[in-house]
Amino acid sequence: MLGIDDPQIWIAYLLCFLSAIGCIIYGMIHWNDGKENEEAC
Amino acid sequence: MAVSTPILGIAVLIYMMVVIYIGWIGYKQTKSTEDFMLAGRKVNPLVLALSYGAAFISTSAIVGFGGYAGAFGMGVLWLVFMNIFVGIFIAFVVFGARTRRLGVNLKAVTFPELIGRRFQSRFIQGFAGALITIFMPLYAGSVLIGGARFMETALNMDYNSAVLILAVIVAAYVITGGLIAVMYTDALQGALMFVGMAILFFLTYAKLGGVVEAHQALTNMAHMVPENLAAVGHTGWTSMPVFGSPTWWTLVSTIVLGVGIGVLAQPQLAVRFMTVKDTRSLNRAVLSGGPFIFMMAGVAYVVGALSNVYFLETRGMISLEAAGGNIDAIIPAYINSAMPDYFVIFFLLTLLAAAMSTLSSQFHTMGTAIGHDFYREFLMKGKLGHTISITKIGIAVTIVISVILAYILPFSIIARATAIFFGLCAAAFLPMYTGALFWKRMNKQGAIASLLVGTFTSLFWLTFVHAKEASALGISRALFGVDTILTGTWSVVDPILIATPLAFITAVVVSLATQPDPEDHVDKCFSSLNKSDRPA
Repeated sequence: MLGIDDPQIWIAYLLCFLSAIGCIIYGMIHWNDGKENEEAC
Repeated sequence: MAVSTPILGIAVLIYMMVVIYIGWIGYKQTKSTEDFMLAGRKVNPLVLALSYGAAFISTSAIVGFGGYAGAFGMGVLWLVFMNIFVGIFIAFVVFGARTRRLGVNLKAVTFPELIGRRFQSRFIQGFAGALITIFMPLYAGSVLIGGARFMETALNMDYNSAVLILAVIVAAYVITGGLIAVMYTDALQGALMFVGMAILFFLTYAKLGGVVEAHQALTNMAHMVPENLAAVGHTGWTSMPVFGSPTWWTLVSTIVLGVGIGVLAQPQLAVRFMTVKDTRSLNRAVLSGGPFIFMMAGVAYVVGALSNVYFLETRGMISLEAAGGNIDAIIPAYINSAMPDYFVIFFLLTLLAAAMSTLSSQFHTMGTAIGHDFYREFLMKGKLGHTISITKIGIAVTIVISVILAYILPFSIIARATAIFFGLCAAAFLPMYTGALFWKRMNKQGAIASLLVGTFTSLFWLTFVHAKEASALGISRALFGVDTILTGTWSVVDPILIATPLAFITAVVVSLATQPDPEDHVDKCFSSLNKSDRPA
C-alpha cells in the first residue's frame, strides 16, 4: 500500500490524512452548533 | 548557508517588525486583568486554532522529531495521528467545551486556578503554579536554544546575542500585550508555518518522483540501516521497530503516548479553551486545527524520513550519515541542499516563527503562574494586591531563568526537556483535570492526592529509573552508584506510563474513600456544563 509494506506504518499514514479530514468535516457539520448569547456567559 | 545573509536579514527584520506591530496592537487592546490573562474571552476561532497549533508545535517538534523520523523512520507518524485525534479533536471537543464552561462558571483565568477552584483548594492552585514555574523554564530554555541556534547559523551572529535578542523581543510583546498579543502573533506565525510546511510537502514529493515512488524507494533502503541501530530494534524507515526493543519502547511510550497524551494537560494550551466566547468557536477551531497539525507534524516527519531517499540518490548515503551523525541536523541539511534558495529563507522564518510562538505562550503561562496562581491566590489568599505587576515581573524573572538555562545547561538535558515537561504535566495534571471536568464525585482530597502522587512518581522515575534522564542527571549514580536502580526493560519505559495510571488510580480510590465535596459547589461547577455540549 502506497509503497509501504508494513501495515502498521501505512495505517498510521492513512490515519493522519483521515483524522485531518475528519476534523474538517466535524468543523463543517458543527459550524453553527454551540452558539451562546452574551448573557448566558 | 545557501542563501545570502543580507536578504535573510532583511526578511527577518520585516518579520520582526510585523510581530512587534501586532504585539503593540495587543497592548492597546489590553485594558483589564481578563484581557491580559484570557484575551477578553472573545478570541476568533481561526486565531484560536492557529495559536493553539503554533504554541503546540515548536522548532524542536519540526527539527527534532523530523530528524528523529529521518533516523528511525515513519513509525513516528503514529504521533501525528495522536496529535490530530487527541491533541485537536479530543482536546477541543471533549475537554475544550467543558473547560471553557467550567472556567466561566468559576470565573477562573488560568489553568491552575480552574482546577484549584473546582476543588476549592488554594493548595492545588499554588502547587500547580509552582510546578509550572519550576519546570516550564526547562522547556522554554530548550525552545530558546532551538530559535537562537537558527539565528546563529542563518544570520552568522553570536549565539549568546541571539538568545538575548530573541528573549527580549518575545518578552516585550508578552509583558506589554498579554495574551491578546501572544495569540495574535501566534496566529500570524502559525499562518507562516502552514505555508512553509505546505510548500515543503509538495516540493519533497515532486523531487522524489511522486508519493508511491518515494515511499517505495524508502522501503527498498531497509538493508541500509546501520548495524548499531539495527541492534536496538531499527528495521527500516517504512516499518515499525522490533516489538519490545529499546527503539520500540522509546517510540511508543515516550514519543507516541508521552507527547500524544501529554498535550491534553499542557497548561499553556488548556488555558486557550477559556479564551473563546462559546462552544461554537471551539467547533469551528477544530476545522482548521486538524489540517494545521497535519501540515506541521505530518509533513516534518514524512519529509524527515524521505530525506533518506534524497541523500541516497544525491550522495549515496543515509540522512544520518549526511548530517554527520547528528539527528537535529538532518532537517536543516536536507532543506539546505534539496530546496531552492527562496524557500530556504522562507523555511528559516518558519522555524523562527515556530520558536517564538511556543516561547510566547510559555512565558505568558509562567508569568500568570507566578503572579496570579502563586502570588495572588496562594500567598495573598485571593487579594488582588499587585497581581498584574507581579505577573509582569514573573514573566521577566522566568525569561531570565530560561535564558540562563539556555546558556548553562548541557545539550543532552535540554534535548529531553520537551518530553520531560509533557510527561510531568500528564502525570501531575491529567487525572485531576479529567476528574474536574467529568466526574462529580471526584473531591478535593482525591485531587490533591493524585497531584502529589503523579508529580513525585514522575520525578522519581525520571531521576532513578528512566535511563535517558537518570544517567544524564547523575543523581542516582551519586546516591546509589548505579545509573538506574531498575534495569532491563524498566529503564526504557517512560515515566508517563507508570506515573499517570498511578495518579488516576489514586484519584479514584482517595475520592471514593473520603467525603464528597459540598453538593451546592459541585452543582455550581457543573451548571449548564452538559448544555453547552449540545447543539444550540
